[in-house]
Amino acid sequence: MHNMSKKELFNFINQVSFMLDDITLFLNTHPDCEDALSSYDQFKEMRKEAVFEYTENYGPLNRYDVNACNYWDWVNKPWPWEGECGC
Amino acid sequence: MWVYEKRLQCPVNIKETNAKLAQAIISQFGGPDGELAASMRYLSQRYAMPYKEVMATLNDIGTEELGHLEIIGAIVYQLTKDLSMEEIKASGFDKYYVDHTLGLWPQSAGGVPFNACEFQSKGDPITDLFEDMAAEQKARSTYDNILRLCKDYPDVYEPIKFLRAREVVHFQRFGESLRLITDKLDDKNFYAFNSAFDRVAPCVDINKCNCGN
Repeated sequence: MHNMSKKELFNFINQVSFMLDDITLFLNTHPDCEDALSSYDQFKEMRKEAVFEYTENYGPLNRYDVNACNYWDWVNKPWPWEGECGC
Repeated sequence: MWVYEKRLQCPVNIKETNAKLAQAIISQFGGPDGELAASMRYLSQRYAMPYKEVMATLNDIGTEELGHLEIIGAIVYQLTKDLSMEEIKASGFDKYYVDHTLGLWPQSAGGVPFNACEFQSKGDPITDLFEDMAAEQKARSTYDNILRLCKDYPDVYEPIKFLRAREVVHFQRFGESLRLITDKLDDKNFYAFNSAFDRVAPCVDINKCNCGN
């Protein structure tokens, strides 16, 4: 993860987040499935690490994670609907 | 409470504008089987749902649909970005442009405005889940129609294909939800009671049902 480019890291966050989106829906109707629970744990850690690294290096993905220094970074582009590079 | 994340669930990077295609795809923004109706349907239904697994399912699928609304919005926005007056007139986009310029507004492809009558929240678990499963299939059919229209435009085709696949997954999850509910009801007559309302219904969550126990 540490030698990924900005774009690669952003894509990785999207992929691992999607895994969680899908697994969590599955877990809602199968709350005791051990395989799904262990996958959830694994992807949760991967996402946490990737989002932390992205935020530190390239700026916030959500407004609770803004590093408030001398400018409110949240208003800066890009917004995701703007397309390449929304990363 | 929701926390916004600055990313799309599926990336959208469209290189060429196409106002004609945008006019068809906008139906999934505010049309009868679109993502706005889907999200509002599930997020409205979740309150009266007395089963914890199904409450979570409605909450989380309703949330994902908001993300899909954003993907469709991004597709329409990028397909119509910086259109010239010539393109607007030639593509037939002038009828939308006159009211909204290049702003996004929830309407169907035929121009009918978004309306809450496009979905139902009945306060009856079985009724609501059949509505939800039908809604996922209707959206899947709409995406199949859109895929036929955009097969030569890979930048559009890929995110639409992703959204279509999600309809199939959601249909599956709602089907499981329906089964979780019927497993807890009288198997000789699933429809004997509205388990979210009737006091004589077999209750599952004592805090949520209306059984008076």
